[in-house]
Amino acid sequence: MVLVVGIAAGTAWLLRSIGRSPSPWTDGGTVTVSDEVGLPGVVDLLEWVLTIDHRRIGILYLIFGTFTGLWGATDAMMIRTELLNPEAVVWTSGTYNALFTTHGLTMLLLFVTPVFTGIGNYFIPIMLGADDMAFPRLNAIGFWLLPPALVLVRAGLITEVIGRLFLALDLDLGFLFAIQPPELGWTLYPPLSVVSTNPETDILLVGLHLSGIATTIAAINFITTIILERSDSVSWADIDIFSWGMLTMSGIILFAFPLLGSAFVMLLLDRNFGTTFFAVKSGGPLLWQHLFWFFGHPEVYIIVLPGLTLVSLILPKFAAREVFGFRSMVYTTLAIGVLSFGVWAHHMFTTGIDPRLRMSFMVVSLAIAVPSSIKMFNWIATLWNGRIRFAAPMLFCIGGISTFAVGGITGVFLASIPVDLLVHDTWYVVGHFHFIIMGLIVFAMFAGSYYWYPILTRKMYDRRLALVHLVLTFAGVWIAFFTMLIVGYLGLPRRYATYPAEFTLLQQIATGGAYLLGLGVLIWLWNMVQSYRMGPRIENADVWDLKDIGQFTREWQWFETQLEREDE
Amino acid sequence: MNQSRLLPLVVLLVGLIVITVAVVPLPTPGYDSVSEVLLRTLHRRLLLVAVPLTLLVEGAILYAMITFHANNDPKPTEERPSFEITWTVVVVLILLFVGTSSYLVLGNLTVSAGPDMTNSSRPVDVHVTGQNWFWEFTYPDEEVTTTNTLVLPANRTILFRITSTDVIHSVHIPALGVKQDAFPGRTTTFKTNVTKAGTYRLYCAEFCGVGHSTMLATVRVVAPPEYQQWLQQHKRTQSDRPQATDAT
Ligand code: HEM
Ligand SMILES: [Cu+2]
Ligand SMILES: [Cu+2]
Repeated sequence: MVLVVGIAAGTAWLLRSIGRSPSPWTDGGTVTVSDEVGLPGVVDLLEWVLTIDHRRIGILYLIFGTFTGLWGATDAMMIRTELLNPEAVVWTSGTYNALFTTHGLTMLLLFVTPVFTGIGNYFIPIMLGADDMAFPRLNAIGFWLLPPALVLVRAGLITEVIGRLFLALDLDLGFLFAIQPPELGWTLYPPLSVVSTNPETDILLVGLHLSGIATTIAAINFITTIILERSDSVSWADIDIFSWGMLTMSGIILFAFPLLGSAFVMLLLDRNFGTTFFAVKSGGPLLWQHLFWFFGHPEVYIIVLPGLTLVSLILPKFAAREVFGFRSMVYTTLAIGVLSFGVWAHHMFTTGIDPRLRMSFMVVSLAIAVPSSIKMFNWIATLWNGRIRFAAPMLFCIGGISTFAVGGITGVFLASIPVDLLVHDTWYVVGHFHFIIMGLIVFAMFAGSYYWYPILTRKMYDRRLALVHLVLTFAGVWIAFFTMLIVGYLGLPRRYATYPAEFTLLQQIATGGAYLLGLGVLIWLWNMVQSYRMGPRIENADVWDLKDIGQFTREWQWFETQLEREDE
Repeated sequence: MNQSRLLPLVVLLVGLIVITVAVVPLPTPGYDSVSEVLLRTLHRRLLLVAVPLTLLVEGAILYAMITFHANNDPKPTEERPSFEITWTVVVVLILLFVGTSSYLVLGNLTVSAGPDMTNSSRPVDVHVTGQNWFWEFTYPDEEVTTTNTLVLPANRTILFRITSTDVIHSVHIPALGVKQDAFPGRTTTFKTNVTKAGTYRLYCAEFCGVGHSTMLATVRVVAPPEYQQWLQQHKRTQSDRPQATDAT
């Protein structure tokens, strides 16, 4: 009871403090009084719920993605806290196992893609001169499938909270407690996922299926918009690199996600209706791995291509020159998209598949490093002879490519079958993919959040806080994930709730790095929210002096007309 | 452009470096098994190329950042196909090096142990069975079974036949360079030869449920006479207690 009242009071206080009128803001000697950001009324809220406007839907996606990202990051902080001790003393092993499962699923399927879909929704129609996305209603449906998907995927925790609230009201709804967070790993390998008696496993599969449908809907919308909805003045050659990235991403989604959906349905049937797709007798566990990774490896590129191309878009703006090798940037993006379907079995090098098969997957996996390296050299060539400006978006881009180098090179190591035998399913793999996922993808998101902040909010962010955020995040990535590479090379497997005592110090160092990352995220959030409420208002659309260097691109031109229209 | 004339030289230099790194013999300090020597030597070979390459890339980024920071004379981007071709060829050369040296290691039967791996001198057969959450080791020739302790003779070829009774597990002995998944209903194999006596840790490396991180076993490698002695002793205690398992 106390709990309920407490939560209600807390929420009311929070809402009031958000709605409070801000104080005047001092900015470099000039006092700019920012306008008030009040509580939205019911009508406003309804407008947002019913909207089919691509910019509003884009913002809904961004808010959703921020929320899931924070939730996934909370899981990560809980994982790392548990690992401060070699024994499971902070949380039980079961809780730990549930944490990395929900962390992985939330981050991959409910955080990264929604965030990039949000950015794309807002900016791609503007950058391509389209009025809106090709299918505005479908766009809204695609978004509104995500919140229920999230509830289903994270049901274990949600039902427990609801159950506890009712307990506080002396009402014992026992079945709510039967639904536990899944303890399977994001890869959901059978037989473990078939024999699991937790009802949440079924709910999870339905939720993931739903999120897959949402993702596919958004992909179809992007493909149609980019190909058919461009204004007459935007020819194929004028399409910006980020749109190319989103187009390729959407193409991969179109082929990968339906397969994942089918695999989920097969797993659901196996669990509930006695089918035997993944039964041991018919070699089913290996079948799942083939199906899952036929989706799973393309998924890796689904999440990384928008990040890579976003870096390619932002980097030249702060180097005062065009991106080097635009054409090869596009071709490498497309090449990665195609090759991504030919490498899936590199996740199965230790399963005892045919050695010749294994060999050919090694070759393709090495080959896919070529387009990625070309991107790297192109970025460096873009910086060379330019005029580098150290603004937050640029620093996040440069930081991102420097960590991406490590993520990519460790990836080549993993593609080499003998090295993979050493480090497969150890912390090395966790370190490797976080160098890319955190080091490049999330860095690109942060870069985008600062770069376009003026357009999204009409305000400027706090540059000093952005710098603190950058330093914390950059240091955090190297400390947390480089330590994981070492721990893995020393042999410690991943998904280990407890570990031999000799790894304690290294694990604690990694946790320290993770806490830096967590702190950085909080500072970013504070900056985003507070600057929106009280930041200095943007008067001049050319925030980044892009006119001087001839890169005042469409979205900024659009922003300029918006500002002019407001002044009238 | 005289810069461009240097490019073939760069390609040649990289080619020479990777060929040298691919063939130069490396010392094998403290490695405990034939597989470990192969795997870790390859890993170090790759590092010999990867570490300088990483430093070069990071150095170039840092150098560009500092040198061209607030540069008042930014040059417009031009097309430089010669540069693009050069670094593409360099990357291809390096990946060819990675591919070939990995292939050579795999070619050694110890690593790519397929199902048809019968060898001249009879190997020591060990059946490894993973189940929630412990390891069972059976020596079929000796009719000996142990739990969570694996005793092996040094300097003999060991053939692991690996399976599981429930979910997927994975045999992972990092100090010996052994890794092979254990599937229910299937048998996978892995062959090695341990050259140093000692005690090593066997981990389960495939998530198998709540006890996954406690699914550890001890690998004790001893001299062959000692191994025989252990077998005899074990057989005796086993016949005393019909379904005895090793206490450790
Ligand atoms: C906030 C920074 C982050 C930290 C500190 C962090 C930490 C971790 C840790 C410690 C694990 C391994 C758990 C284990 O194997 O026992 C893990 C797994 C994983 N993380 Fe993260 N992570 C972060 C961000 C991300 C992001 C942004 C993504 C994806 C976009 C991501 C995706 C994954 C995936 C897919 C796994 C594998 C889960 C599994 O084993 O089933 N992480 N993370
Ligand atoms: Cu992959
Ligand atoms: Cu296990």
